[in-house]
Parts: sequence; C-alpha cells; structure tokens
Amino acid sequence: MMTIIRVAAVLLTGFFVGLTLEGVSRKIIARIQRRYGPPWYQNFIDVFKALSKNGITHGWIFDFGILMALGGVIATLAFVPLGDLVAFPGLDNLFIIVYLFAVGALGMAMGMVGSGNPNSSIGVARALTQMLGYEIPYMISVSAVMYYYKTASVSELMLSQQDSWTLLKMPLGGIVAFISLLGMLGKKPFDTPIAPAEIASGPMVELSAKYMGLLMLMHTFSIFVEIGLFVDIFLGISNYWTFLIKFTVIWILATLISSVLPRFRIEQVVKFYWKVPLGLAFLQALFVLLGWVF
Amino acid sequence: MANHERNIWEKIADQLRSKSLWMLHYCTGCGAIELPPSMTSRFDMERFGMGPMATPRQADILFITGYLSAKTLRRVIYTYEQMPEPKYVIGFGSCTLNGGIYYDSYATINRLDYYIPVDLYIAGCMPRPEALLEAFNELMKMIRKGEANGWRDYKENYDWYKSNQIRSLGEVLVHDEFHE
Amino acid sequence: MIPISYLVLVFLFGSVVSYLITKANRIVGAIFNFLLTFYALFVLWNLEIGHTEKLFSILEGVENTFKVSSLGKYFSIISLIVISLVSFFIIEWIRKKPSRPAAFNAFVLIMSAGIIGVFFSNDLLTLYIFWEIAVLGSFLIVPMGKEDSKKAAVIYVVTSAIGSYMYLFATFSIYNKYGILEFDQVSRFLLNEPSNLFKWFIILFIASAGIAKSGIFPLHTWLRITHGNAPDAFSAILSGQLVKMGSYVLAISLSVFPSTKLLASFYSGVPLLNYILIWLGNISIIIGTFMAIRQNDMKQLIAYSSVANGGYILVGLGVMNSIGYAGGLFHVFNHAIAAAMIFLSFAAVVYRTGTTKIDEMGGLIWKMPWTFVTYLVGIISLAGIPPTSGFISKWMIFNALLTKGMFVTLTITFIGSVGSFLYVFRPLAGVFLGQLKKKHYEVKEVSPVMLIPMLVLTLLTLFIGVYPKPVLDFIVSIENSLGIKPIEYSGTIIKTSLGQWDTLTVFTMFAVGFIIALVLYIIFPRGKKVELTDQYTGGEYLFNYDLYHYATGFYRFLERLYDKHPSFEKLYGMLVSFFKSMGEIINELFYKVSPSGYVFWISIVILILFWVRW
Repeated sequence: MMTIIRVAAVLLTGFFVGLTLEGVSRKIIARIQRRYGPPWYQNFIDVFKALSKNGITHGWIFDFGILMALGGVIATLAFVPLGDLVAFPGLDNLFIIVYLFAVGALGMAMGMVGSGNPNSSIGVARALTQMLGYEIPYMISVSAVMYYYKTASVSELMLSQQDSWTLLKMPLGGIVAFISLLGMLGKKPFDTPIAPAEIASGPMVELSAKYMGLLMLMHTFSIFVEIGLFVDIFLGISNYWTFLIKFTVIWILATLISSVLPRFRIEQVVKFYWKVPLGLAFLQALFVLLGWVF
Repeated sequence: MANHERNIWEKIADQLRSKSLWMLHYCTGCGAIELPPSMTSRFDMERFGMGPMATPRQADILFITGYLSAKTLRRVIYTYEQMPEPKYVIGFGSCTLNGGIYYDSYATINRLDYYIPVDLYIAGCMPRPEALLEAFNELMKMIRKGEANGWRDYKENYDWYKSNQIRSLGEVLVHDEFHE
Repeated sequence: MIPISYLVLVFLFGSVVSYLITKANRIVGAIFNFLLTFYALFVLWNLEIGHTEKLFSILEGVENTFKVSSLGKYFSIISLIVISLVSFFIIEWIRKKPSRPAAFNAFVLIMSAGIIGVFFSNDLLTLYIFWEIAVLGSFLIVPMGKEDSKKAAVIYVVTSAIGSYMYLFATFSIYNKYGILEFDQVSRFLLNEPSNLFKWFIILFIASAGIAKSGIFPLHTWLRITHGNAPDAFSAILSGQLVKMGSYVLAISLSVFPSTKLLASFYSGVPLLNYILIWLGNISIIIGTFMAIRQNDMKQLIAYSSVANGGYILVGLGVMNSIGYAGGLFHVFNHAIAAAMIFLSFAAVVYRTGTTKIDEMGGLIWKMPWTFVTYLVGIISLAGIPPTSGFISKWMIFNALLTKGMFVTLTITFIGSVGSFLYVFRPLAGVFLGQLKKKHYEVKEVSPVMLIPMLVLTLLTLFIGVYPKPVLDFIVSIENSLGIKPIEYSGTIIKTSLGQWDTLTVFTMFAVGFIIALVLYIIFPRGKKVELTDQYTGGEYLFNYDLYHYATGFYRFLERLYDKHPSFEKLYGMLVSFFKSMGEIINELFYKVSPSGYVFWISIVILILFWVRW
C-alpha cells in the first residue's frame, strides 16, 4: 500500500514539477533572447490542448509504440529515488533504470517508424546513433562511481556521499556525466534527432493531437529520470525538497548552456562524445582504480 | 458561420486551445517577412503561447501569406486536410482576400475561402506585425467564444468546397508529378 | 531410464528412416523429425546428474564414456528446445524450401545425435568424435541454401577444422603425457603440472575449437558467409544451437580445467590467459556490433550479432567469478532462444517474400503481425532490455566486470549493448515497419504450424524474464559442481555484491506504466485511422510510396566514420588467393600434360638420381 502511494507521489512530482520546469525553461530562453516569454504554466496548457484534439493514427503499431514509450518511461521513473522518496527501496539498481529507460526509447522509435514517414525514420536513426554516443561515456563515469562505492543501488550511491559530493570527489566524472546529460535531454547542441528545420522535427513528424500530448508527457518524465539520476549520484545526500532544488538548478544550467549553442551534425556528435567525454571518463576510471579520489 | 452548441468539455478545451496555438505557415507568397519580427523580441508571439511547428500534424493554425497560384493551392488543400481538427486558417494580406495586385492574373486564385474555410483575414499589403498580433488576439477571442468554426463548415459543406476546388484546378486524370 | 547411447543410436538410425519417409512424403518426414527430437528433449529432461555409460575404447587405457554433468544437461536441454521447435517449424517450411528435403531431414538428425554426444562426453576424445559428427551433419546441410552456399559450406568446415584439429592436437598431447583423457583426471593432472607453458597450450588449444565454433575473433568470418547462405530455418539451429556448442567447449576449457586455480592471477583475480580470451571476446563484440550495423542482408546482420553475443558469452565465462560465469551461462540460454526466434521470423519472412535484403521489403507488419511480434520480443531480448530474459544475463556480466574493475571491457560491453539497439532496429524498421511495397500487397501471414514454435519461444523468453528461477537453478547446480561460488537469488530477486533487483517488480511496474498510458489513451478523443500513404510530405504529391521508405543506408552517417576499417575477411581472402596461386604453380609444374614438361621432369629426376648415386 505504501508502495502504491510512493509510486503515485513520484509520478505526480514528475508530472507537475517536470511540466512546470519546462515552462520555466521556455521563460528563461525567452529572457535570454530579450523576449517576455510564455507563462510558466504554458506547458500544462500545451499538453492538455494536444490531448483534447482529434488526431490521426497510422495503425496499431503507431498507437502501441506510444503506449510502450509512455509506459516504459513511467515504469523507469518509479524506480528513480527522488531524494528520500524511494518507491522501491533496495531495488533501484542503476542498470535497471538505464535499461528500462531503453524500453521507452524503443517504443517511441517503433511507433514513430511505424508511421511510415522517412523523416521519422531518419530522426530515429539519428537518435539511436546519438545514444551510442552519449551512453558510453555516461556509463563509464557512472561505473567508476559504482566501483568506488561498491554498490549499484542509486539510493545507496546517494547515501554514500556523507563526507562530500561525488561531483567534488570525482570532478571529471561529474563533468562527463553532465555533458552526456545534455545529449540525453536532447538539448542543443545535441538536438540533431529532432532538428525541426532539417527533418520536420524528426520522429514526431506524424504525431498529432493525443499522440503528441502523450509523447510530451513521456518527454517530461524522461527529463525527470535523466536529471534525477544525475542529482542522486553526483550531488550529495538530499531529501525530497533539496532534491527538487538541485534538480531545478541542474535543469536551468542545462537550459542556459543549450540556449546559446548551435547544433552539431550527427557524426560530429558521435565523434565528440567518443573523443573528449570518453577520454575524460577513462581518466576518471583510472583515478578511481588508483585511489586518487578527493 | 453558425455557432455550434458546445458542451462543458468543449468549452474548457476551447479555452486551452486559445492559449496554445501552434502555427504552420505557408509562405510561398510575399508575407513571410512579417513573421520574424512578430516572433522575435520586438513583438514576441510566444507570450501568447503561440509558436511555429514543423508539420501540419501538430499545427492548429494554417497561416497563409500572400497570393496562391493554382499549383500551390493544391498543396494548401492537401496540407489543410492533413491537419488534425479543430483547425483554423488565417489569410494574410490582400491577395488571399480578393487577389490583391494579382486580381487579374491567369495563374493565381482570387478568393481563398472558396477553397478552404478562412476564419480570419488580415487585410493590407503588407499588414504590419501589429496587425498580425491583433489578428491573433481576435482569433483567440473567437475560439473562446466558439465562433471559429471554419473546420466544421468545411466538413458540412465539403461538396461545395470540393466543387470549387475542382472548378479551379480541374480534375486530375493522369497522376504524375506534372499534372497534380 | 533410457541410456544416452541408446538415444544417440536411435537418432543415427532415425536419420535413415527419416530419409526414406521424407522421400515418400516430406511433411510426414518432418513430423517424424519433430517427434523424435521432442522425445529426446523429454528424455534429457529426466536424466539424472552423474549417470554414466560405457561406450567403447579406442585408445589404450582410456574408456570412452558418457557422463551426465549439470553443464552438459543445461546445454543439451537448450539445444533440444531449439532443435525440436525448429523441427516443428520445418513441418510447414519443408513444403517449399530446401533443395533436397530428404537429405536435409536425415542430416538434422545426424547432427542432433552428434550434439547430444558432445554434451554428455566425459572425455576429450569422445567429445571430439561426436563433435565431428555434428559438424558433418551441419556441413552437409549448409549447401542446400542459396547459390553461393557450397562455398559457404567449405569455409564453414575449414574454419571448424582449424579449431578441431588444434583441439585434437591438445588431446593427443595430453594422452602422450599422462595417458588419460577424462575431464576430472586431466584437470587433476594439470593442477600438479609444473610447466606453465603446457597449461597455456592445453587450455588455449582446447578453447580454440570453441573459438572457431562460436565465431570469436579471429575465426569469426565464417558466420556471416554461412548464415547468409544456409537454408533459412537451419540458420536458427546454426545460431541458436551449433554456436552454443562452441560456448560449451569454452566453458569446459575455462572451468572444468579450472583456469583460475591453474594459473596465477594477472588482474583482480583473472589470469592472463583468461584475460587474453576476454580480449578476444571484446574484439568480437566490437567487430560484431559495428559490422552488423553495416549489413543490408538481414540474416548476415544477425550473424554478426551472433559474433558479438559469442563475445559476451566468452567475456562472462572468462571472468570466472560466480556472477560472471553465471552471466555467461545465462547468456547462452538467452542468445540461443533469441537467435532462434529472430531467425525463425526471418525464415517466415523469406518464406513469404523470397528475399533477405532489408531494403527490398517494408511494412510487412501489416501482413505478418505475429511474425513481427516474435521478432520484436526476440530483439528486445537480444538487445538486453527488461522485462525479457536477455537483460538478466547482461546485467550479470556488467556486474561481474564492474566488481572486477575492468573498465575497458566494461566500455566495450556497453558499446555492444547500445550498438545492439542500433542494429536490431534496422530490420525492424526496414522489413516490418514503414511503407509496404507494392509487390508485397498480396503477402499473407505464415500458417499456424510456423507460428506456434515462434510464439512458444516468445512466451518462454518473457516467462524466463519475469521468473528466471528454472534457469538460475541450473546455473547454481553447475557452479556447485564446478566449485565456483553459486549465484545468490531468492524467488525473483537476484543478488550480487553490488545490489539486487527484482524481475517481478520491474515487470509489474512496466505493466502498471502501460496501463496508466492506456487509460490516458482511452479517455481522450480517438484518432482517425488514415492510410499509410497519407503522409506529411512537405505539401508534395508522391506517386511511388515504395520509394518513400527509409531503409537503404539506415545508419550511413555513422558507417561513414569507419568505412576504411581493416577487414579480416579481406586478409583471409588474400591468404586464400595466395594459396590458390601457389597451387596453380604446382599444378602447372607437375600436372600439366605437355611433352616439354614431361621431358623436363624426367631429366630432373635422372639428374637427382645421378647426384645421389643411387
């Protein structure tokens, strides 16, 4: 029973805080461009408006893909500890979260390619390639952390940082994870898969109305999973409220960085990730093996 | 256009729709230049929750600037029919109203709303961004009141629109890239 | 209880019977094959561990015996599951496909006899004999596929021979030195062996048979060629089963001869030899993954993925700690089932469309939905995504590498894992999704006879993914019998030193998430169903939707980064042409029928005779 309440709390937090912060980030980008910007609740309106329209579907795989995407991401989010709010204590293995996340990605990719539009296929191919780019350095830097603390449970990784934050102990790993985080979020300069001007917003090209709304929800939850993991692993012990504060800070930082950068080409993304962040991640792993941790 | 009786859910939905209008602009005519200032920091369209979209599937407004030749009109109709309902059309500039300076051209159409239902026209050649924003506000009001019913009109009078389209564009007998 | 030797004999005689029946009626012959293999599965399931049978004695002092070990039983049950289900599939498939159905059925049974013998052999020589029977059976089936398949069969058997002769060499060296061949005795003698070099030589040479068979670098090239050309349904056995025979020999060479006890530790408890093997596995993962991304032929694509997965198994086995070894063994199961599913679904597609090229197909999901479901679950398992069983083994391997601190190997396994998302998606997008080609408008779903084995495998993967206890029980008993600390688990919770996870919770949560999404989906307005040809095209009219399908060069932008890679296939090709030209020179000199050559050789012989004054 408590588990159900906790899962509901996690999901509702993801929904409200996630959508709010997306609105806030639009506001921030507007202010950087010297505009007034939309209200902070704009994304709630967008989601519900999209859900209220009468869309089109391209057959059962299109629908199923969206459901699998949203279902997979909801399942993933339930395993992410939000500070001291842990829905499944002891079962929040990092590998599970990362790979369960792939269910959502696969579902989305399948549904979108199922629409039969080549733009979405190109977008999906790019998204998967980008995943090959950012996932490797991210997993290595996180593995170094797991090796150091001898646990793969995210909440235990968080609780192990009593003396100081992992970010300070392993600065290189933290930087690598943050750069990978930008790729995961699909923020500029890594928004190649959804490039609206090149491939008509890529995977989403055939998404209308309800489908778009569900995908926006999925996107919100994904953001919560990705940043939530980073905050838990690198930014010290937090309770529910400090978690949200740290979350907001990281999200705004990512927004600020992305709002002033142009876009990479897809092979540049892979090359970049496999040169700089992967090298730094190996360096960090070497430091951990040698015991050079601050 | 007749008012449509709305239930409570549709009223709520219309409130939401008026605050989040996504726009597809069809700018083969000359008005496209008026859009950048209305999007960027001078007039900032996004504060009304409006933004450009890449595909008709996600768009609420079809924004047509300037004249339409017979060849582009086909594309406009095709695109309009791909948009999910409810959908709104804004005709921008005199050319969509009555042909403008191209009123006697052999290649362009004169009145857009013979072919697709236009909810709102912006007259002028060119209308300035202020006029554009005024029009958007007007459209929002119409949506909130439930008056922007062009898409229902199109469904109800589909035969009339279709016959107009066929009269201007002709039946397509040979399906290849030169005839459609 | 039915003895194993009896079972093997039944299979060998059954092959003759099957040949004759199939000559009379193909379908009855295939049903006979299925019944026989299914019966064998039933017999093997009930075998007691430790049961021993004497066979014959070829070498002096060596009794060739069968002995049921946990390891052999585990492998043989996986194999027979795959073979019997594929045999069921063949009942329908044989109506159209192999060029010589009678011989096909007979050789499948001969091969199965060899396989059963391999897994229950108690000494190196018996293993070799049955190994060669299995290779012979499969070698003769391969040429029944496409046009190039004769060449493919030769490449297959040559590669296999390289491995098995090295194995035989090691076997006779052991016999020369100790005069025994039983596994237990050999490992006891090896433990007392002073020479490190000899130990290295024995383990490496025995492992090389496994390396050749499971397509590990540098003997990986045969997989692509053989899979590309072998009969479609047989590819499922080839990848799902025969490759696993190689994994079995690798498991024996690393664990039955306990490498961690034999050799000194090199890096965190792993000996240098294991480390070298792990590196071969790493290279296989890299090659398999990146080459699979490039392939346009769907069978060759999955063949390269078999290379990568063979690498995973070798990495898992090579680490040789409780969790890594368990991961390797579990991966054997997962890959066998997943590869069988994928190849069966491909066989179904080829059965209906007659092509294996990804860009010649598209949108088949609308015509063959159940085949698509099989393929989908198969790739989810192959890519190691929960809630299928494929994730469990990958998780174990990751955990093992992480506890050992092997970051480079860990990186490569991550590359293999994320790369597998890329390459498995390519047939999914190219063959099943997207625009349906005009020429495939009339394609129908395959018959239930073909669907049943595919769906049984699908359910098995999902079931083991949620409730892995049956497989884990096997693994625990194997690890107990080999003296490795068994893996811990309780119910559906699997534990390692790094933490634990619960398969059931993950599955339940996924179901809950799906239901939440479904509820949202249902309460909001329904979408209008439109044709697949109603697409956003930027306002343009299209007339040929066949061309509006993105399948050619799916990852071209990524492939461009490693277009100029070094290729072992080319290197071997160069070697082959070198030997060919050498042979031609010799041919030219010795066998050419011409008077001048004749006179030349006679004069040379006479000169030599004079020189040695004979």
